[in-house]
Amino acid sequence: MIEIDNLSVIFHANHRLVRAVEGVSLSIAARESFGLVGESGSGKSTILRAVCGLAPITGGQIRIAGEPVLTPRGRAFSRRVQMVFQDPYASLHPRHTIDRVLSEPLAIHGIGDTDRKVMRALEDVGLPTSFRFRYPHQLSGGQRQRVAIARALMLEPAVLLLDEPTSALDASVQAETLNLLSRLREERGLTFLMVSHDLAVIDHMCDRILVMQHGRAVEELDRADLVNVTMKTDYARSLFNASADRML
Amino acid sequence: MAGVATWLREPNPTSRWQARAGQGYLSWLRFCRNPLAMIGLAITVLLVLMSLFAPLLAPHDPIAQDLTHRFIPPGTPGNWLGTDDFGRDIWSRILFGSRITLYIVVLVILTAPVVGLIIGTVAGYFGGWIDQVLMRITDIFLAFPKLILALALVAVLGPGIENAVLAIALTSWPPYARVARAETLTVRNSDYIAAVRLQGAGAARIIWGHIMPMCLPSVIIRVTLDMAGVILIAAGLGFLGLGVQPPLPEWGMMISSGRKFLFDQWWVATMPGLAIFIVSLGFNLLGDGLRDVLDPRSAGR
Repeated sequence: MIEIDNLSVIFHANHRLVRAVEGVSLSIAARESFGLVGESGSGKSTILRAVCGLAPITGGQIRIAGEPVLTPRGRAFSRRVQMVFQDPYASLHPRHTIDRVLSEPLAIHGIGDTDRKVMRALEDVGLPTSFRFRYPHQLSGGQRQRVAIARALMLEPAVLLLDEPTSALDASVQAETLNLLSRLREERGLTFLMVSHDLAVIDHMCDRILVMQHGRAVEELDRADLVNVTMKTDYARSLFNASADRML
Repeated sequence: MAGVATWLREPNPTSRWQARAGQGYLSWLRFCRNPLAMIGLAITVLLVLMSLFAPLLAPHDPIAQDLTHRFIPPGTPGNWLGTDDFGRDIWSRILFGSRITLYIVVLVILTAPVVGLIIGTVAGYFGGWIDQVLMRITDIFLAFPKLILALALVAVLGPGIENAVLAIALTSWPPYARVARAETLTVRNSDYIAAVRLQGAGAARIIWGHIMPMCLPSVIIRVTLDMAGVILIAAGLGFLGLGVQPPLPEWGMMISSGRKFLFDQWWVATMPGLAIFIVSLGFNLLGDGLRDVLDPRSAGR
């Protein structure tokens, strides 16, 4: 579903080149859940942003369902790929009601039947429909992230990019949100590309994992590798050890 | 009454309209807690009422001259604020003058901030050469002292109330463009803008529906604080004889004509001066109160 070939992303900042991502390749099958793990600044979020056009592709190629992505991404891309952001406090417009947040994508794409679709979207993410005309500041962090997930699903995309979707939430809400995402993936056959610095979260969600460091891919792991602790590189092992106690 | 309040305070509104009214109600309650802002609002409302009902409130014709009653001092029954050098009742002239002041203020509100908002948000959102071009034009307008530029424009276009408004509007949009651009720069890279861009929204939709609502509070605050300045420039143009033309009662022009008699008949210039002072103060207090209510950084609590 998603193929990334030798991707590099280079930013120009203050006459200096910042190589955020260098020569990363990965391939994600449809309905698969793929995780990117690494510490802050390892370039994992930049890969997500490059996929959806928020960061430039300096080198290499990204293909969605076999087609190279266009720049700018265009409406067809929006209906295929959507993203859930890290911080639910920053990803919802503070002056728009939940109703407006959820109906906007429908309006952009000229899809009718707004009332019914907004109500169903709220039910799908486990929010009471009475929240429809609330403002984001009247919701908790977990509820806001549910709204953000509902918004990402309004256009019924096949691919969901998840940028640390739970790192801004506290532990109990984290688990609820992850379970919600797993359930939605199963119901709708979504493909996930998920970023996290927390191996425990990735372990809960993903079939395969790419460990990254300093903008480069370090090692690709699958479930069996995690269960049997058969990492080849020291860095992946140290990352695993750091969160091993929370993974059981 | 209690029913309306509960409807407004409903935590789960059932319509877009109720949600908006509820938010407005909360802002209003916050606004009410500020006594100075309430004074400002009262002065502004009073100004509007005065200009609306000027023909009913004015005891005399503001233009009719009566040379037998020149320079009647304030406190005289029938002419409580006195009369001017043509025997016209100053209170009546101030009442009718409030119409002209309000007319200028409203026209400037309807033009300058709108132009500034559009230029600022477009420049801030697109960045690059569009930003450079628009902001350098803004800089050029900012480089002139407001009154001098307004004077030059009126000198070219000819004196009159419409030209005065045009001149004031043309000289007062740049600060709004600056404010709107600064506000746009703080929100354009936020996740909620990225999210709507990712949904395929075009630039017009993003600027109009997502960026402008965030810039609006700072611009509104700025507008109310600038209203005093607009009144003063209008009065200044009137004072210099380039704004409203006689015999229309304009406050600045009234001061100008009273200047000649300032030492012997002080009230001729002082009364319209007090009117300008009170109205400017009212707009400033209102602006301060609105800042407390509308500031995005304090809102939403």
